[in-house]
Amino acid sequence: MNLFSFSSLIAIPLISSPVVYLAGRIGTHETTLHGRSYLVRILALIAVLIAWVPFIFSALSFLSDGVQEVAVETIRLSVDGISLLMAGCVLLLGTLVVLFSGSYMMEEVGEEKYYAMLLAMMGLMIGLVTASDLFNLWVWFEGMAISSYLLVAFYREQAASLEAGMKYLVQSATGSVLVLIGIAMVLTQTGTLDMAQIAEAVSGSAVNRFAILGAGALFVIGFGVKVALVPLHTWLPDAHSQAPSGISAMLSGVVIEIGLIAMLRALAVLTGSAHSWGVILMGFGALNILYGNLLALRQTVVKRLLAYSSLSHIGYILLGLGIALYSGVALGAQGAFFHLFNHMLMKGLAFLSVGALMYGMFLRNDSHASLKVADLAGAAQKYPLVALTLSVAVLALGGMPPLAGFMSKWQIFVAGFQTQNIWIIALMIFMALNSVLSLGYYAPLVNLMYRKGPSAQVLAGKPLTWSIALPLVIMMLLVIGLGFFPDLMNWLTVPAGGRLMTMFGY
Amino acid sequence: MAGILVTLVIGLPWLGAIAVWQAGNGRAKLQHTLAIVFSVLTAIISLVLLMFASSEAVIQIPLGVSFGELTFVPDGLAVSLTAIAAVVGSLAVIFSVDYMHGDTQLGRYYFLVLFFIGAMIGLVLSGNLLFTFFFWEITALCSYGLISFYNDDPKAVAGGIKALIITQVGGVGLLVGTLIAYVNLGSFQISVLLEKATTLPSVPLSFIAFSFLIAAAAKSAQFPFHTWLPDAMEAPTPISALIHAATMVNAGIYLLARFYPAFESVPAWTMSVLLVGLVSALIAALSALIATDLKRALAYSTVSQLGYMVYAIGAGGVFASQFHLLSHAVFKALLFLAAGSVIHSVGTRDMRRMGGLGQRMPFVRNVFIIGALALAGVPILNGFWSKEFILEIGLEHSPVWTYGIMLFGAGLTAFYTFRMVWLVFFGTERDQLHAHRAGLAMRVSLGILAAGTFVTWLFFGGLNGLLSTTMPFHGFEHESLLEMVISILSAPATWFALLIVGLGFGISWVRMKGFKYFGGGLLQPLVDTSFGFEPVNTFVVQGVSKFAERLRATQTGELNWNILGIIGGLLVVLVVLWMGA
Repeated sequence: MNLFSFSSLIAIPLISSPVVYLAGRIGTHETTLHGRSYLVRILALIAVLIAWVPFIFSALSFLSDGVQEVAVETIRLSVDGISLLMAGCVLLLGTLVVLFSGSYMMEEVGEEKYYAMLLAMMGLMIGLVTASDLFNLWVWFEGMAISSYLLVAFYREQAASLEAGMKYLVQSATGSVLVLIGIAMVLTQTGTLDMAQIAEAVSGSAVNRFAILGAGALFVIGFGVKVALVPLHTWLPDAHSQAPSGISAMLSGVVIEIGLIAMLRALAVLTGSAHSWGVILMGFGALNILYGNLLALRQTVVKRLLAYSSLSHIGYILLGLGIALYSGVALGAQGAFFHLFNHMLMKGLAFLSVGALMYGMFLRNDSHASLKVADLAGAAQKYPLVALTLSVAVLALGGMPPLAGFMSKWQIFVAGFQTQNIWIIALMIFMALNSVLSLGYYAPLVNLMYRKGPSAQVLAGKPLTWSIALPLVIMMLLVIGLGFFPDLMNWLTVPAGGRLMTMFGY
Repeated sequence: MAGILVTLVIGLPWLGAIAVWQAGNGRAKLQHTLAIVFSVLTAIISLVLLMFASSEAVIQIPLGVSFGELTFVPDGLAVSLTAIAAVVGSLAVIFSVDYMHGDTQLGRYYFLVLFFIGAMIGLVLSGNLLFTFFFWEITALCSYGLISFYNDDPKAVAGGIKALIITQVGGVGLLVGTLIAYVNLGSFQISVLLEKATTLPSVPLSFIAFSFLIAAAAKSAQFPFHTWLPDAMEAPTPISALIHAATMVNAGIYLLARFYPAFESVPAWTMSVLLVGLVSALIAALSALIATDLKRALAYSTVSQLGYMVYAIGAGGVFASQFHLLSHAVFKALLFLAAGSVIHSVGTRDMRRMGGLGQRMPFVRNVFIIGALALAGVPILNGFWSKEFILEIGLEHSPVWTYGIMLFGAGLTAFYTFRMVWLVFFGTERDQLHAHRAGLAMRVSLGILAAGTFVTWLFFGGLNGLLSTTMPFHGFEHESLLEMVISILSAPATWFALLIVGLGFGISWVRMKGFKYFGGGLLQPLVDTSFGFEPVNTFVVQGVSKFAERLRATQTGELNWNILGIIGGLLVVLVVLWMGA
């Protein structure tokens, strides 16, 4: 295995996952539930840091030579703009979450399992985005799902956490079954699972169009459960709010987006009518934006509020993609991928900031309570840094210039207006009004944190550690920096958008 | 040189914002000093910038795909508004030293104030519509933060969010207009839009024009978005001065003035602008007649005076609107800050409890009266010249009935101004209020502003020269101060208008003697509901919030329903796909 090739980017987290677990367990007394906390943390951090080496080399060779095909035995991985962008998202957020979790998960029962599953999930997600046949796509997808179930239900002593995990499991499994049926339908029609060959077969006349479209519908809904399309989203608020904060960040920042990539990869081969997929994506996008915003408006638990806001941000991404697929405006896809990346940063920052507050206010006081909106009152007095990072995160999510979220939404707006299609323009105005609506719940959070009278929880809060603060600072600087220099991400978002357009035959 | 000045004039207040914030709330003296130093430096640079006005972009930074090129154009309109924002802003900061004395969150206060001033300056200097929008949003956010500055008070929080949402809805108008312009012209440059507006097809151009009108009306609290400004009075009083005189509300006027040449030919656009201004001026003046809260009365007068500016633009008098904007910035800042001294001293904004304060606060009384006379349009104060100038334009270029209504509005202005002065400073003491003299910092900024009301109209020629030489698309006529003075003094309309103003004073004076009754009579229900628009706001807000609450029922938490959602979604997608196939 070559350390510099993309396959090691998948292999490093997957191999280090059992290593971390065993290092934490072997030799510890069976009666003590705690593993070797320190060793586990260091190993996990080393693993993710090493994984940057193949990523950087793959990125460099992609920039010089374009799309790469990597074969591991009979499995072929294709490294294109989309996989590189997603791998980057997974790796960046994964690294920061591992760093953040050092203090946050310290001495939790099953800490070694946490890192093992987190690493496995990262490896599987990176594998998924490179899959070039439907079967492998499904296998990676299931693997990712299984590792994420365990992480959602990590606090196994708490009823709410188990309930969330259970719902997530059942609904995701339903989705997976639908995907599997879809794959079977494609196989019966085309006799192959290789994506390139399916695409050829579908364009021929031997296939039943209704069956292929049926398979497409199954893909949309099956993967759509993971993407949290409304009305398939019902697992998400529970899962995001009950998981440990680092995992909330991962779920919202990358896992649901990876589901979206899987959906796009699967749909692309069934093309013939990218138009229809565009319409469906835009429809779900509009629904997600409105539903997510309205439900977030009345939430009193901060992580639940952020979970609903993920629904609406997935909606923005879907709109951008839908515009691109429907009308062939590549800028829509670029904007969507840019927003995907920014959402990873902003929502990751928001969840980790909330996690930092929960750490100081609850975990260090031996409580697993959930953070209420009212608990934020006056947080700036004791946690000025976190108050700032959370403010930046939510204002960026609300689309305030000059933060990253504004710039990517702007690209989607421009793309929408470029179509010159009156319905799409109406949809853009709808999206803009929704951004205003979203400020109705983001802005008060900021205001609340800078209040004079602190809440009892803030007063009882304990100080934070550097390993919690560092990831927040890094992400905040990125959110601000990308707002001022939106072009910095073009090297990834432009090829990713371009790849999407070629995948769908533009 | 101009490039450096532009960078400084935007950058300094932002740098100052960070400096004050980093100084820490424990060191109040340092924070006050830093805020004053940075804001006064900005003001000085903004005045120097006046000499470097040009129609060319002085800073150009290409930003690439779909963001265009960041440019700053210090033309006459931009630099004059920059100077207003910076100078009046710095006086509000100086005033704050006394007003905010002892506050424990000075860092947040000055951060927002300085950030606000910088954003407003960026807004007017930007030559790129994307960045106009960008600064537009920042000013909205800052105003939100400042209006709800006393955020332990639910009324302040509610007022702030209301201002934010309404101005942001206006922001959507700016966004839509900008994007339509971009897809049709391929550029975000304001100069390109102004130059090529006539080549655009009429439908997109009308869309841009009316979107911008919505944006401007929302930002400048014009009809039908006038409901947020009175509620914004929960802010600390220097902030009201900042929002009403130096920044924020001027942005809407700026937008209309900036794009007037592009939209002039759009059917019904100028008439709509005229009517928006007229209705705002009238209903706000009527509201001010019966207001009992001193700051609310002033807020209504702002809406009304902004109405005059919008009316002027609708009548084609872009220059007149800017001239009145200058006068208004000075006398309204003076009035708000003087009112701030009163409120700071007696601890209430309720005019029903005031009365007879003049003897104990002679300095504040005097400057307030000067500001009030300027607002009412009494010669030779700045408000007189600019208001007469607007009325003259209205008489020449708009239907005569609109002129009549604006004249009536001038009478109302005199009436409510006199009422305000009387209720606060004269008559009997209705309540045993503790009053003390204004502090030094307060008196310095009040004194400067009071002097300003006597002299700023003398800048007529300078302002005219600045705008007419650097703004090629507007085609401003050259007019010297002397010509303006002669034309106003020789017009019979002026004397008629003065008669109306005098009548307003007279009626008010008669009514105020032995004043007891505070009810608003028939007007009261209209004013309480902002002429029927407050219920509309409430309806929308409560509707959304109730709908959101009901929607929570869809999150049942029961797996069976959840799975039904998945199956239902599948069926819908199948049907859609098969129907489309």
